Amino acid sequence: MSKSKLAVVLFILSEVVFFALLIVAYVYFHAYPGEGPTAANSLNAARTGVFSIFLFASSGTMALASRSYRVKSGAMLGWLIVTVVLGGIFLFGQAHEYMGLYASGVTANRSLFATTFFTLTGFHGLHVAVGLLAITVVAVLTASGSFGATERETEAFGSVEIYWHFVDAVWVVIFSIVYLWAFL
Amino acid sequence: MSDIVATDRIAPLEENPERAGFLSWVASVDHKQIGIMYLLSGLAFFGLGGLEALIIRVQLAMPGNHVVTPDTFNQLFSMHGTTMIFLVIMPVMAGLTAYVIPLMIGARDVAFPRLNALSFWVQLFGGVLLYFSFIAGGAPNAGWFSYAPLSEPAFSFNNGVTYWVLGLLGIGIGTLAGAINMIVTILKLRVPGMTIRRVPLFVWMTLVNSFLMVLALPVLNASLVMLAADRLLNAHIFTPAFGGSAILWQHYFWGFGHPEVYIMILPAFAIISEVIPVFAGKPIYGYEFVAGSTVAIAFLSFAVWAHHMFAVGLGHLFDLFFGISSMTIAVPTGIKIFNWTATLYKGRIRFTTAMKFAVSFLLMFTIGGLSGVSFAVVPLDWQLTDTYYLVAHLHYVLFGGSVFAILAGIYYWFPKMSGRLLNEHIGNWHFWLTFVGFNLTFLVQHLLGMMGMPRRVFTYPDWPGWMTLNMISTIGAFVLLLSVIVFLWNIMVSLKTGEIAGDNPWDAWTLEWATTSPPPPENFDLVPPVHGRRPLWDLKHPDRADELVAAAAGK
Amino acid sequence: MQGVVTLNPFSPQAAAISHLFVAILLVLAGIFALVAALVIYASIRYRDRPGAPEASQEFGSRRLEIAWTLGPVLLLAVIFAFMVRAINASDPPIEDRQPDLRVIGHQWWWEVEYPKSGVVTANEIHIPIGTSMLVEVDAADVIHDFWVPELARKVDAIPGHVNHLWIRADTAGVYWGACAEFCGSEHAWMRMIVVAQPQADFDAWQSVQLTTPPIPVAGAQGQGAQLVKDETCLNCHAISGLPGNKRIGPDLTHIAGRRIIAAGATENTPENLYRWLKDPASIKPESHMPNFLLSDDNAHALVAYLETLN
Repeated sequence: MSKSKLAVVLFILSEVVFFALLIVAYVYFHAYPGEGPTAANSLNAARTGVFSIFLFASSGTMALASRSYRVKSGAMLGWLIVTVVLGGIFLFGQAHEYMGLYASGVTANRSLFATTFFTLTGFHGLHVAVGLLAITVVAVLTASGSFGATERETEAFGSVEIYWHFVDAVWVVIFSIVYLWAFL
Repeated sequence: MSDIVATDRIAPLEENPERAGFLSWVASVDHKQIGIMYLLSGLAFFGLGGLEALIIRVQLAMPGNHVVTPDTFNQLFSMHGTTMIFLVIMPVMAGLTAYVIPLMIGARDVAFPRLNALSFWVQLFGGVLLYFSFIAGGAPNAGWFSYAPLSEPAFSFNNGVTYWVLGLLGIGIGTLAGAINMIVTILKLRVPGMTIRRVPLFVWMTLVNSFLMVLALPVLNASLVMLAADRLLNAHIFTPAFGGSAILWQHYFWGFGHPEVYIMILPAFAIISEVIPVFAGKPIYGYEFVAGSTVAIAFLSFAVWAHHMFAVGLGHLFDLFFGISSMTIAVPTGIKIFNWTATLYKGRIRFTTAMKFAVSFLLMFTIGGLSGVSFAVVPLDWQLTDTYYLVAHLHYVLFGGSVFAILAGIYYWFPKMSGRLLNEHIGNWHFWLTFVGFNLTFLVQHLLGMMGMPRRVFTYPDWPGWMTLNMISTIGAFVLLLSVIVFLWNIMVSLKTGEIAGDNPWDAWTLEWATTSPPPPENFDLVPPVHGRRPLWDLKHPDRADELVAAAAGK
Repeated sequence: MQGVVTLNPFSPQAAAISHLFVAILLVLAGIFALVAALVIYASIRYRDRPGAPEASQEFGSRRLEIAWTLGPVLLLAVIFAFMVRAINASDPPIEDRQPDLRVIGHQWWWEVEYPKSGVVTANEIHIPIGTSMLVEVDAADVIHDFWVPELARKVDAIPGHVNHLWIRADTAGVYWGACAEFCGSEHAWMRMIVVAQPQADFDAWQSVQLTTPPIPVAGAQGQGAQLVKDETCLNCHAISGLPGNKRIGPDLTHIAGRRIIAAGATENTPENLYRWLKDPASIKPESHMPNFLLSDDNAHALVAYLETLN
């Protein structure tokens, strides 16, 4: 494993712990809700599910970008742009959801569900945004022709790729626990 | 001799055009300069944390004192703990490892030099942000572990605790980045020949400790983020009055807090494992067991956190589990103490200042470790927790342990960093003042706790013996102040007129001693071959190289 | 507290801990003595001096490693066995017993009530000697800790999580306690006393506590009683017979009979009571008791009235 990959894997390890603790807090207050809005009466799993599909698709397009990079087929830039667009749609969906919740009075301090919901999905959204930024940087460098195929650049791209897949994997877990489990 | 390796396996760093000058330090990505900056910042915060402690001790010297108001007192002890842990011990250990590790493994720098610099500056910024609170309405005043609901806006009115949250988030991110950097460095940049089984114990323990950080710091970050939600967004995660859970904060915080104390002591173990063998003149006794027990401690450290919560009333079964796990973790620690002691036997011990601190570490840390065992015995904890007996325990392990080891490490590696030896005569004074001052301050606190003095109290009733013991403790604190002054004087005098050290003033064996003092920017011109755990010993005694001796003994 | 209270038990529960504590201290002292002896001996015997032999290049001994691993394990196993016994002896199960006492921690005083008799008081707990009383421990604001070392273990008072504790004294006397979890500015002055008395005296005390003191009309006491109503004291304090039943501050119905005020910050004397009313911050700097800027005359009147509340 290269240095960059090892570093990203270690970083992801620490992020797993971070998200695990936010999830535990969410689950704890799901079991001991207190007053105020809950998942079942505030969330729309179907709509968020649709937006989630865009995020999962972006993992696929990222993999395609990676393959293009390796075989040098020239389609890499295109797939990167699609990935950013798909991820952006997911973030748009999340922002839309937040605004809807806010408008109906479900703010971060309204109930323990609301607090842990916004904390957990908010930090995930932040990680998505940072990931999109990183992918955009790679895309811009590729477009300007300065992203080559040296070992260093290959490792950098590989690190971004691993990070992006991780962000998606976390969403699988969060979506299941927050949206699906609430309606079971 | 044909396998001497040049250190250009790594892409050359952009040379810093001017090594001198303040700006070159600010812009530096050289691990040696970053290491020294960590040490200097740690020293500065040690002064601040020490000042806080002195004011506390003056206030407590006599019952009914009015040196500070109760709220100021609360800010002082909260900042004292937070400073010493996050802005002194951790950065100083980070600085020593940043400086020494690349040299010890024959590398040119760490794996990610810019990330190394970022770690330092983010950590420093976090510390400055934390101290800014003093002039922004008041420092945090809910203790270094900010129990809820006291830390919540309803009971902690000023912004102090919010600064605590934000400052620690910064420090936490810096530390995490540093840990990742260190793991990659150790796993990827060792000179060929230095297999993982041949690394110096300083390297091994730093590796294990870095994994501890990668897994424990995010626990703190998650906890801080949730407390921030409570304080800044008016949420109620930890306020029972609105359905939150105060106990959840304790679980989360100690889920970080307990591994954290091992994060602070493992580097101390690492330093001791280098200093004692060198000044005893023989290899560490039981290398594999010292290394293995370190891993055991790392794993176990995640299974003991609730021994900080025996008084919470979570049920006997719960308490019993954590009592057992806490007693168990004493075993690998004891193994180390015994191995370090055995290293002294049949040695030829040179009592340099570094060695004085290292040997007294053995005694002081044993006291602290044993008082820790008394806390693992649950019913004893039920009397002694949250008293001065606990304050005594924690200072014996963190001062008598970590700080003594740091001082040993500084006396040991100062010549490598500066090219000059610290003065041994002044060092002797420094050592004895520290030893006497430390024990005077903290030994009596065991008794005060047993006599019923709770911790974190700004004053106490005028009961028989209480003032005398507190006064003794305060006098000890001033002796410690004197020892710090002597230490600073030693550093200043030695930097100007200290004896020139040369490459290897201690006749030590690890690779950092195979280059000049201080090392050139690229660390090595040539790295000696590594066939065992003590490359320079093997080089100097080819007929008695470690692996030959081991092979002859039939291992 | 006088003396080394954690080693001076007056109840079987505290004694169970104290005996174990002594044994453990001896064991730990022994271990330290052993380690210290080994280290000091080696430091002297093997120090570098002219003519000293070269250091022996040895790497370890598997047998020693096993010995000093198994040894501590066995020792800890023995300690563990004694620990289990002491846990049960010092903190017996509560089973179906209803609490005899409820103690609620406030910043910075202890609210005390006796559910079975209806007695309400503050900071001073009375118990009959020789009887184990079950105490329910709770908190009204932040986390506190109820600790009377001569009689029992400490246990946290946590809002949202009720704890239980057995309190018992086998000898008559006054036993000091303290809050043992940092709870804010006046954590240092959140103490309490447990007064253990013969059953007859305890019953007498309880019946006195249940009486409603008369409201004086004449003289300084009468003036004081009127002031209590006028100066909004009853917005925080309850006095049986007067309007209101607030528990923001301690119940004052029988304050004159208590030994301490301000949760142990000072003794309960008329002079101290006067000082407290004139300037609470002079006794307990950041307590929640406001300074009402009372005139000397009014303060004296209040003290006169409060002194009638036996």
